[in-house]
Amino acid sequence: MNFDQFTDEQLIVQVRENDKEKYAEIIRRYQIKLTHYLRKFIRNHDELEDVLQEIFIRTYRNLFAFDTDKKFSPWIYRIAHNQAINHIKKNKKGSISLDEYEWEIVDEKMDLKKDIDIGLAKTKIEKGLSTLKIKYREPLILYFFEQKSYEEISDILHIPISTVGTLISRGKNALKEFLEKK
Amino acid sequence: MDTNSEIEKKIMTEIESGRVKLKSKYIFWAEKFGVSSAFVVTVLLAILFFNLVLFYLKSSDNLAYLSFGNSGVFAFLESFPYLLVVAFIIFILLAGTIIVKSDFAYKSPFGFLALAIVGVVIVCGIVLTYTGVAEKIEQETFESRPSGFLFKPFLSRGLEARHNGIVGRIIEIGDSNITIQTPRGSEKIILTNESLLPTEPLSEGIFIVALGSRDDGNFTVSKLRIINPEEIQMIRRGVHRRFGQFQFHVIKSGGCKFLPSSTIIQVTSSCF
Repeated sequence: MNFDQFTDEQLIVQVRENDKEKYAEIIRRYQIKLTHYLRKFIRNHDELEDVLQEIFIRTYRNLFAFDTDKKFSPWIYRIAHNQAINHIKKNKKGSISLDEYEWEIVDEKMDLKKDIDIGLAKTKIEKGLSTLKIKYREPLILYFFEQKSYEEISDILHIPISTVGTLISRGKNALKEFLEKK
Repeated sequence: MDTNSEIEKKIMTEIESGRVKLKSKYIFWAEKFGVSSAFVVTVLLAILFFNLVLFYLKSSDNLAYLSFGNSGVFAFLESFPYLLVVAFIIFILLAGTIIVKSDFAYKSPFGFLALAIVGVVIVCGIVLTYTGVAEKIEQETFESRPSGFLFKPFLSRGLEARHNGIVGRIIEIGDSNITIQTPRGSEKIILTNESLLPTEPLSEGIFIVALGSRDDGNFTVSKLRIINPEEIQMIRRGVHRRFGQFQFHVIKSGGCKFLPSSTIIQVTSSCF
């Protein structure tokens, strides 16, 4: 069955009206995106899978809390964010795992080429991001790797848009400082 | 991708089997309604308590002590409405906490929201002073009506005895003491050679405010001045509640006699 003509929000309305099967489409639309996002917080594959499953179950249970006049994506990312934070608090592990190409995004957005050995870039950026405080790390990850706008980040983290800008800017500076030091 | 499909299967099986269910929309409505109501009630209480702080400062003896300058500071601090101020601050903080924890205002910077809440509370609190709500609460509180019971701990301080100051209505003037009526009863205050008295003559029926100290229940005056009862309305009303309005009884010899009773007989110009 092709659900392409439906937006996320339309699908949610239908799921709420007891068309449960359509929730599978929501899972299909978000499982890769959320896996990608969660990988910045959770390295262990099994743990990541458990958290992802918990996110989709929580999302389903709380579908009536979603305001269909708003966008669904920031709402499900908000749930993922809360679950990721809970996981970090429980496990006290702050390590970050970047995909092969992702260090280049950081490099491009921060113009690090002059300052950093390309061969070590990925590891260094991973370490740098891991050392950042969570309040800086979260917006940086959403901005760099999830390609979220300031407004979406504001909706996901529940902070004002102006604060998103400030946190990203401070996070960038802290990361750059870390990379230049080593 | 296989893993992802597996997750999809697992979740859909849970949903279709009914083990994972949608929470009722009424739960979320109730939650939203509860949070909004709590916020509104907290802000309203903050407004009311701010209004009561203003009312207390305006109508109790608190600010009257400052008219003596530096020497009145202790009596001012002693009679300050700490409990009301603390309650007001708690309600403001509570309103701020509800805003931070809830979802409806995260887009605006907290500083701006905090300023807006404080601004609204202050403006509404000032506007409320024109409605006479505080006077009504005072009346309910001191006439021991059930509705005033909650406010008793906050307002009763306004009529309590002070160690460093006293306010009341003169009913008798002796050589070295004056008997005054206070909301708590009649009290003799002691005048000494060091007591600074006003240049205007003291007479029965007028209200005075005095600084001094209390030892073994006796209040020794260091400074005293006459005060317009309109400046200390809470005290004036307290005295009236206890002793009735100030009245003169015309006696046969043509003079006047003060009666602390509620029976009015006649007031003539010779009494003033």
